[in-house]
Amino acid sequence: MGLNLSRTLKAGLKNFFRNGWLSVATISIIMVTLFIINIQIAVVSSENLLLNDIKNRVSISVYFKPETNEQDVLRAKDEFSRYQEVASVEYISKEQALEDFKNENANNEILQKSLEEIETNPFEPTLSIKAWEPRNYELISRAVNESDFRENINTVNYDKYSNVIDNLGKEIDSNQKTGLALGITLAVIAVLITFNSVRITMYSHSREIGIMRLVGASNNFVRMPFVWEGIFYGLISAAIALPLSFLYLKFVAITESSGVILPFSNSIYIEQFLSQVFFKNILWIIPAELGAGILLGMISSFIAIGRYLKNPKR
Amino acid sequence: MENINFKIGEKEFVSIIGSSGAGKSTLMKLLHAEEKPTCGEILFEGEDIVEYKKKQIFQHRRDVGIVFQDFKLLPKKNVFENVAFAMEVAGKSDEEIAEDVPQVLEIVGLSHLAEKYPNEISGGEQQRVAIARALVNRPKVLIADEPTGNLDPESGWEILQSLLKINKYGTTVVLASHDKESIDKINKRVILLEDGKIVSDESVGKYDLKKEKNLKHKKKTKKKRI
Repeated sequence: MGLNLSRTLKAGLKNFFRNGWLSVATISIIMVTLFIINIQIAVVSSENLLLNDIKNRVSISVYFKPETNEQDVLRAKDEFSRYQEVASVEYISKEQALEDFKNENANNEILQKSLEEIETNPFEPTLSIKAWEPRNYELISRAVNESDFRENINTVNYDKYSNVIDNLGKEIDSNQKTGLALGITLAVIAVLITFNSVRITMYSHSREIGIMRLVGASNNFVRMPFVWEGIFYGLISAAIALPLSFLYLKFVAITESSGVILPFSNSIYIEQFLSQVFFKNILWIIPAELGAGILLGMISSFIAIGRYLKNPKR
Repeated sequence: MENINFKIGEKEFVSIIGSSGAGKSTLMKLLHAEEKPTCGEILFEGEDIVEYKKKQIFQHRRDVGIVFQDFKLLPKKNVFENVAFAMEVAGKSDEEIAEDVPQVLEIVGLSHLAEKYPNEISGGEQQRVAIARALVNRPKVLIADEPTGNLDPESGWEILQSLLKINKYGTTVVLASHDKESIDKINKRVILLEDGKIVSDESVGKYDLKKEKNLKHKKKTKKKRI
């Protein structure tokens, strides 16, 4: 069994090299397919990073009346933290708020002077609530407004962000769907191309295949070299597509002008994608890509062969 | 073909003669499991090859060596590799191949051409490679379908001599040919086919009924519509 495997492997390799330009053409097409699929995945990933970032920046701010006692605010913090939709609650005391404001506007003399003139701290104690899912902000906001602490609450603001998040979410969703459709179409095309190439190879070998079967070669023995050939096509294509995708993302996609392939080209997120997602997962991205290539090649070959080899000449 | 009934015993040398279209090739294909009869059985060592599944057919083709009129060598492999291929197909190890192939090349007198490719050697030499390939797995039966058809008379005679030599060493040989003169000269059993029917089955000289009883092969085919 293992012997046949190694013998057919060598035969497959020979076929592969002897095909010359046909092999080059097949590999190019599979490579382009994998490349585009990779970029699509990168884009979707980057968009998700963007979404997460926004989700993180978005929060409900609950402004308490300035005279509210700190203990009450802290109690409110505890209570709100317990809502299951709430991810975190941050307390910003009025002193802290003042400090932050002073620091953020350090350059603005007029503002600094106005602050000095007002003797009291105009800032309100604030609770900044973040939810797990942006769609829950409305729910949380209502809960807060109806909570025991409502008398101490001045305003709750969240409205501004919900539309943005919803729209972004929708756009990302549709991008994902387009990307998926594109990816699947391309994969089918790649399978067809490989299928075709294997067919052509088999056709040019048809006389030899006939002789082999007359000498007593089993169907598998005849088939395996072509399966190996398909695997080689897939493997090499993947091995080229992956680094190429990386280089493209790193050097080309990052420039503003690449809006063609990428539905949105926000370079920061691509960088982030590369450093956070890509490199972190590189140890399984590489085998996954190679695996995808091999799978593509193998399936095409099997289909190409299956329809070519019928029953032994009878 | 109709009413084909005959038995071939171990170590026999049988020639099937007939003009073109008489059915010789069809008969050879039947023996080689390349064709199926419409009815009847073909028994090889007691088993009916008509009932064989795919796997068994491929095995059968390894047990029965075959030589064709147009040699059917793999063009991209050299002489050694062509013969070795028959062993690869049978799953033999590299060591066995390294041992057996040179031996069989010697038997057919082609050791000096081991590295040559089919297109670099003569027709007679190619046919000898084919014979070597057919022999290398030590089959019990060698089938030759018009082996001299594409060869000039001298090469053809040489091939016939090689087949006789092989038969002497113990392999049953079934030969199909339309070269009646050469076959007459070798004094072996001759089955004459005409229009798909057996016209005569003459065992020349030494073969008698006693030998026919020591049967290893029985081939019986009743009817086959072409």
